[in-house]
Amino acid sequence: MRTYSYRPALRAAALAVLLLTAACSNNAASSAQNKESAAPSAPVAAESTQSTENVKPEEVTLSFLHWRGEDVPAFTDIIGKFQTEYPHIKVEMQTLPSDQYQTAALAKIAGGDAGDVFASFPGAQFEAVAKAGLYTDLSAEPYAANFNEALIEAGVKEGKRLAIPYQLVYNDPIYNVKLFDKLGLTPPDDWEGFLALCAKLKENGLIPIAFAGADIGPGQFMNTMVMNNLPSDDAFTKVESGEAKLTDEWWVKTLSQIKELNDKGYFQPNALGTKDAAAGALFIQEKAAILASGSYQLAQNKAQNPELEQKLLAPITVEAGQAKYEGIHTSTFLLGISTKSKHPEEAKTFLEFLSRPEIAGQYANATGQNVTVKGVEYTTPELQTATEWAGKKTLFQPRFTITNGENQKAVTNSIQAVLGGASPEEAAKEAQAVVDQQIAK
Amino acid sequence: MRKRLTLWVFVLPGLLLYAVLFVYPALAGLFYSFTDWDGLSPSFQITGWKNYDTVLHSLVFQKALWNNLKFMAAVVFGQTLLSLVLALLLSGNRRIYVPLRALFFFPAILSTVSVGLIWSFVYDPGIGLLQGLFNLLGAEGLAPSWVGDRRIAIYSIAAVQVWAHTGQMMIVFIAGLQGIPAELKDAAAIDGGGRWRIFRSVTWPLLAPSATIVIAYTTIQSFKAFDLIFTMTDGGPNNATEIITTYIYHLAFSSYSFGEASAGSALFLVLLAALTWLQFKALRADRISY
Repeated sequence: MRTYSYRPALRAAALAVLLLTAACSNNAASSAQNKESAAPSAPVAAESTQSTENVKPEEVTLSFLHWRGEDVPAFTDIIGKFQTEYPHIKVEMQTLPSDQYQTAALAKIAGGDAGDVFASFPGAQFEAVAKAGLYTDLSAEPYAANFNEALIEAGVKEGKRLAIPYQLVYNDPIYNVKLFDKLGLTPPDDWEGFLALCAKLKENGLIPIAFAGADIGPGQFMNTMVMNNLPSDDAFTKVESGEAKLTDEWWVKTLSQIKELNDKGYFQPNALGTKDAAAGALFIQEKAAILASGSYQLAQNKAQNPELEQKLLAPITVEAGQAKYEGIHTSTFLLGISTKSKHPEEAKTFLEFLSRPEIAGQYANATGQNVTVKGVEYTTPELQTATEWAGKKTLFQPRFTITNGENQKAVTNSIQAVLGGASPEEAAKEAQAVVDQQIAK
Repeated sequence: MRKRLTLWVFVLPGLLLYAVLFVYPALAGLFYSFTDWDGLSPSFQITGWKNYDTVLHSLVFQKALWNNLKFMAAVVFGQTLLSLVLALLLSGNRRIYVPLRALFFFPAILSTVSVGLIWSFVYDPGIGLLQGLFNLLGAEGLAPSWVGDRRIAIYSIAAVQVWAHTGQMMIVFIAGLQGIPAELKDAAAIDGGGRWRIFRSVTWPLLAPSATIVIAYTTIQSFKAFDLIFTMTDGGPNNATEIITTYIYHLAFSSYSFGEASAGSALFLVLLAALTWLQFKALRADRISY
């Protein structure tokens, strides 16, 4: 009979466990060592640079984290130029889709694993990252002067510049210029005029407004619809603090006007079931004359239908002469430097590089996105269309002044509720009930 | 003694994996459910049972729970019935049945996100396949807003869940049907039993264990549904398709209320544990032997 000894197996298992533990502890030890050595090495490096000019600067790798996968080719070219100018700094770009950005990216930044330079959204996300103390204070950075001061306020909190918005979006509906010209229509300057315009478009067999009610539509369209109904620019902030209510006249009026557009058939049928791509298709195929989105969509529309001529138009919900604002702007893609970064100086160098007008211009013209940097030359008609709005009186996107995610959802849900048949009063009451619960927390 | 030690060496990797991937996150989640952690800040406060109180009284949570029950009922009923009918039709040995079974099983191998995207286009009121069908029949105005109407949106998604998993459950029923001895049915037929009587008195009782597996699996699966709803409606319109899992996700990643999201997850765990326990009891009660 053969006998089996367990000893070799046991030894092998023990060895495996030991190796695994050793590998883990080695990693931990080496990373700890790195952490320890990283701090003192910087002054040492600085000292040696001062004493001997010939010593090469320490090679560092920066992690650049953002959500715009479509901008990768443009950023790759820009990073190439940056690395030529600063050969000791290597930039590794990582992109995650915007929905995953909420989950994975912020965890990476908080853990210090990635995102020496990272992008964030204005509003709730900016507030959360700022509260967590993950933004390096950029108040003293001289290159902030390269940006249009009025457009980068979204990155300031309690007097400190924590992030710099890089992209500029006008969240105003897009219209088909050729269709408007054909029917002799021009953007109206009051609510009655806007209703008459929609009626004329409908009479001519067109869908007046393509509205993505299932996803982005309510969050986009609410801004231009509410901008002139707001009693003050900080009305939503007051709602969150309990000083104002969604059941107040201004929000109920906004809901009534959105409902009116829907009830009169000025949105495509079953607008609540239509997603962004399908609403965009209606506009691109010239079945719809207006697309309730924003300037970020201009380049994409043009790419799919080169015959399109597009401009922006904001519905004015009050009488002529009473309008405070002509449209909405959002400065987004807030670039910040993580407080967990081991190379903050190099990260600042990268931000400075991005803030140069020629680099920002390269990015803008390659991606079709306007930027907040001053003195940029735009080469495409779509970017120039949006630039026309730079001289107009625009309000920062009111939706992003709602900093609590549940409140923001309650507000956009109230739009979906009126489109689904609820009365504006009922919808506002339902949304206010959610806000009240948030205030009571 | 040595033998016992040796056994532990074999069990250890599994135990370690389970501890690291399941026990630790579950306990950590339970801990965070008693804090006001926002998911990013290094510091947080202990808030006791406050998060549980907030979640249980939340209007959105109550709506999500109700939606979850509606979704579960629709999926369990639809999926069980349809898979049983398909199994009864395709359990024989005819050559054509093999490709047909494969065809009905096919959606189960697709990723749920793909299924969600495909059906988003099918349901689209402008360019959707279903709308096209209504247009073809000259009934353009009669097509409902499948995922835009708050009254039917949750059932429209339930129908997609049924479409995707009926084939999978059909296989379980076919396995059960093929395990029933033919002589029992033959004996019942000789005794004068019609097709319906044979099904009711012979086939169905002997199929009960398969049915219990199908119902148990479908119930848990429908309660945990996340990706389909996330892809198709993200809980909208106006929370009409918000279920507990999407509610927890929104709390954590849109509102940065990780403490409350953890409390929601703990409540969800209790709910699922209770459901599973009830089903295990049902499974034992329905066991048939012959």
